[in-house]
Order: sequence, then C-alpha cells, then structure tokens
Amino acid sequence: MNWLLIFAIMTGALTLANAQQPIPVVKPATDGKVWGALVYATNNAKGFVGSNEQAPADFADIPQRLGKVFPYQRFEILGQHLQDVFREYESWVVPTKDLFLKVDSKGPAEGGGMNLHLQFWRDQQVLVKTDAVLKAGSPLFIGGPKWREGQLVFVLVLQK
Amino acid sequence: MKTPSEDHDLIRWLDGEMTDAERARFSTRLAADPDLKAEVEMMQRMSSDLRAHLPAEMTVPYGDFFNSQIQVRLAQEEPLIPEARASWLDWLRLPTLITATAAVAIAGFMIMQKGPAAGDSVVLSIYVPNASVHARTFHSDEAQATVLMLDGVEAIPADRKIVGYYIERTETDQEVATTTLYGKSGEVVLVVSKDVRNQPRLLSATPRG
Repeated sequence: MNWLLIFAIMTGALTLANAQQPIPVVKPATDGKVWGALVYATNNAKGFVGSNEQAPADFADIPQRLGKVFPYQRFEILGQHLQDVFREYESWVVPTKDLFLKVDSKGPAEGGGMNLHLQFWRDQQVLVKTDAVLKAGSPLFIGGPKWREGQLVFVLVLQK
Repeated sequence: MKTPSEDHDLIRWLDGEMTDAERARFSTRLAADPDLKAEVEMMQRMSSDLRAHLPAEMTVPYGDFFNSQIQVRLAQEEPLIPEARASWLDWLRLPTLITATAAVAIAGFMIMQKGPAAGDSVVLSIYVPNASVHARTFHSDEAQATVLMLDGVEAIPADRKIVGYYIERTETDQEVATTTLYGKSGEVVLVVSKDVRNQPRLLSATPRG
C-alpha cells in the first residue's frame, strides 16, 4: 500500500477521532463567506441522481442563470458547501469528493468583493488554477467534465 | 536613417500639431521620401484600426493589472534591445508604445468579451497544468455570471456515483494541517488533509447518497 495513502488515512483517522470530542477551537480570522455547489446539468431529468439539495434562498435563481450559459435545461444540485474564507489559511469548498475547490484569500477587492486564488481539483489532479475577483451577486461558473448525459458545473458565489 | 527631429516631426504631423507652413514642408518631404511615406501609412493604418475598435473615451478596466503586465513584459524584453539602438528617441517612443500596447490589449479584451462592470466577478489569470485541457473565460450579461469553461477535461465515467454533501461548517487545525467539515446536524462529514506532496486527501466519515 502506498505510504502516502497510509499517512493520509492515519492523519484523517486521528482527526476524525478527535473531532468526535468537543475541543476548544480558536476561530481563525475570515475575509468573507462563499457558497459552493456541484451541479449536474442535463436535458434529461430522468437521469437525475435523486438529490434533494436546494440552493439557499439568496441563490435560488442559480439554476435559471446556469440555463442561460450552458446548453442544458435541467439542473440538479448534487452537493453544496457554505464556507468561511480564512484570511491566513487555505479554505476548502467540498460539495463532493469528486470535484472540489481550494480557496486562498488575497484580501478584499477594490470596490467590494474578494481577491481569491482558486484551485479546482478532481480527485488528486488540479484541473485549473486561477486568480479571480469574486463579487457578491455575480457567481462564478466553472464548466467541468462531462458526466452521463450532461456536464458537471461548479458554482461559487460570494455571500453578501 | 531618420534623425530624431524627423521622427519628432512625424509624430507632430500625425497628431495634427504642425502649423500650416510646417505641414507644407513635411508634405514635400513625404512626397520625396518613400521610406517616410511607408512609415506614415503604417502608423495611419494602426491608428485607424485602433479608432475603429475603441470609443473616443473609455475607462480602462483593471488599469493597474494591464499596466503591471505591460511593465513586466517591457522588463522582460529590455535586455534583448541592443544598446546601440537605444537613444533619447526610444524614450520618446516609450509612452506611445505603452499607449498603443495598452490600446491593443484593451481592444482585444473588448473583442473577446464584453468588459466586466464594476459589480461583476472577473477571472484575472488562468493556469491549466494539463496541456489537453483548454480554459476560456467570459462574462454572461444574461446570466449575470462569470464563466470559466474547461474544455477537453476527461469525462467522468457514467457508472461512477457522485456522492454529494451538505457542508455547513468547518474547523481547521493547522497543527496537523487538517480541515474537518460538518454537516447540517453538526456531524462530521469529511476530513481534508494533505499528503507530503501537498495534494489533498479526503476522508469520508458519513458517506451519503
């Protein structure tokens, strides 16, 4: 077995064990909060996986917006994650284990919003690294890999 | 080779800064000098192309970013310029070069995509490690969203089950470099750690789906 994998599993297992017990945690400083979701875009709703996830009220129009960009009519939220963006540490937005995002804050943006460094990961492979200015009310759609009869889209929104 | 005053005259003529007498003298020289005439025509074409793509006045979107990129490019190319060619004229041309480069960059930016408004998210840079993947970005006014499209990403096998989570809260422990992700009811859903190659390792506690 790969030693790196053993190390990761042991570290994760230890943390999981510790996470079951209440430990005093000092909350790190944050620069804002983002909502991330992995969406399955398709024209065939019969292919939906049966997820019950709904976008928060603030972002309820995300499926309609996706429909104006991607050539699909039906959108299913597979997973979602509301995440603080830590000022000094990396943050992870993990709506699924298959596709997830690493977020590093680069501070507030001029005129509002946040400067971010983003890494879009698929398992152990980084698909894209990007610097972006994320503004509230202006989501970032990352068109990802094809899956089944449609495409997986990662949505990132800065919470107001 | 043209003298510095000839170059200066050319710029003044193009900018319409000459008096009638100077313009007449320059026109005479222009008729007699094919090289000068060719240079004038080239600069007029460039000017005309720029005017055709740019409004008379515009705000430079993310001007600091463009300026910094231009300065970086100039700094990279500076050692390649032979010293013998450097003269005060090159410095005279520098603002013109910067303006022209910025204008071309802005024009290209505007042609490729409509510039973002103040409230729009924007992608500033993209790096794709896998050469078979191509990334492009654009802003959709209709969706009021910024899009980063990855073309050529290998499809996820259809029989692979995608397990989704609902993550509401996280805690990060820098001592062991892990982040614990919690679900709706405060349960541990996932732990994110990194291996010695700095790659993420995700360990599920409560798989769903």
